[in-house]
Amino acid sequence: MSNPPDPRAIDRVDPDGVLREGAEALQSARVGQTRSQLFRRGGVLAGAGLAVGAIPIGFAIGQGGLPGGDIKILNYALTLEYLEAAFYAEAIKKGELKGEEAMFAEVVGAHETTHVEALKKVLGGKAVKAPKVDFKDATGKGKFLATAIVLEDTGVSAYQGQAPLIETTEVLATAGAILAVEARHAAWARDIAGDNPAPDAFEMPMDMQAVLDAVEATGFLKG
Amino acid sequence: MNDRNPTFAELDRDGAIEEAAAKAGINRSQFLRRSAFAGGGLIIGGLPIAFSLAQGTSKGDVDILNYALTLEYLEAAFYKEANSGSALSGKLATFAEVVGAHEDAHVEALKKALGSAAVAEPKFDFKGTTSDSKMFAATAMVLEDTGVRAYQGAAGLIKATAILEAAISIHPVEARHASWIAHIIADGGSSPSPAPEAFNPAADMETILAEVAATGFISTESGATPSSPSSGTPSVAG
Repeated sequence: MSNPPDPRAIDRVDPDGVLREGAEALQSARVGQTRSQLFRRGGVLAGAGLAVGAIPIGFAIGQGGLPGGDIKILNYALTLEYLEAAFYAEAIKKGELKGEEAMFAEVVGAHETTHVEALKKVLGGKAVKAPKVDFKDATGKGKFLATAIVLEDTGVSAYQGQAPLIETTEVLATAGAILAVEARHAAWARDIAGDNPAPDAFEMPMDMQAVLDAVEATGFLKG
Repeated sequence: MNDRNPTFAELDRDGAIEEAAAKAGINRSQFLRRSAFAGGGLIIGGLPIAFSLAQGTSKGDVDILNYALTLEYLEAAFYKEANSGSALSGKLATFAEVVGAHEDAHVEALKKALGSAAVAEPKFDFKGTTSDSKMFAATAMVLEDTGVRAYQGAAGLIKATAILEAAISIHPVEARHASWIAHIIADGGSSPSPAPEAFNPAADMETILAEVAATGFISTESGATPSSPSSGTPSVAG
């Protein structure tokens, strides 16, 4: 049987153990270890989602030694996460959402903020700054859900498009961990809206330029 | 949740788990480097890459594809049985039809890619979980969550870029399924959450196979584990 992950590495970034379970999952993906106790759904859902600033272990290892291509991909991911996080923050602040939409915004907004913090921490001084955003009326009740679907579907395609280009195993593991979560967000928003949560048997990737063009077309990014 | 729901955490110790794990052990190589693989970019049979095995495909990648195929066989058979019965209606029936078609498409794509290297479909016994709507929903969530963790855990071990691309075109679809069924079960409430964590957990082949074995859903071992052909180069499909 395999050795357990090194707990010290987790403690360095997660002294309270809040993210331990998720971190061990990433670790196990990286080194092929067995963590059968991870097969529990929901046990850490609130804690992991709200552990802003704590980052999965597999992701911290590459710090300082990432290839240039991976840094570019991480900054691209960070830009998209900044956009998503700002969108949900504004929607929550605006306070027009009710019921399932409000719950969705709270949970997903916390995830996106966690992604931003994780990516910033890994990139350190190489992290791009948060862009200025203008969501116009998209964060209000009438347009929130449709916009969230577009943002989340785009996020899925964006991570999927980059994953094969990632050189570092730890970065790939984390991209996969985020990719699945963005897909969960997209399906959740679609089901609330009454759209098909899983419209295709195979997800289609988008390359960086296609995603950036689509984001630019929204007019949400300023400068 | 109903106490009678089968959970993968219910480990049995009849030896099937150990056997599956031992077979999985062949793939516990570490830090495989993914190598460039010619021929990306085409769309074959709905799969957005050129995804037939080519000369030089590693045994590890064949094992991973057969592992994925086994899980997809399981999912596809589960939904097929559910759809042929009368326990489901409304949202659950729609879910089972849409997701079942996806799993069928995944099976066909993987079989086509593997050609003669594909493992045979095992026999299944879903133990009545498809004939009760609540048990169906709970089981579907477990199966889909497992699929997400499995693809996520395997992705980093895949050598060929084209096969990685295939895996990550399926991985988020399984995540959509998992989210969807959780949202149906939650029925407007907060539990189970469609997206319970900011980072989705992954699991390795050994773990997943042990969990699958523990369900008892696979009633024959034939083709159920990634014991791919141990010699020779897999034939090229299509």
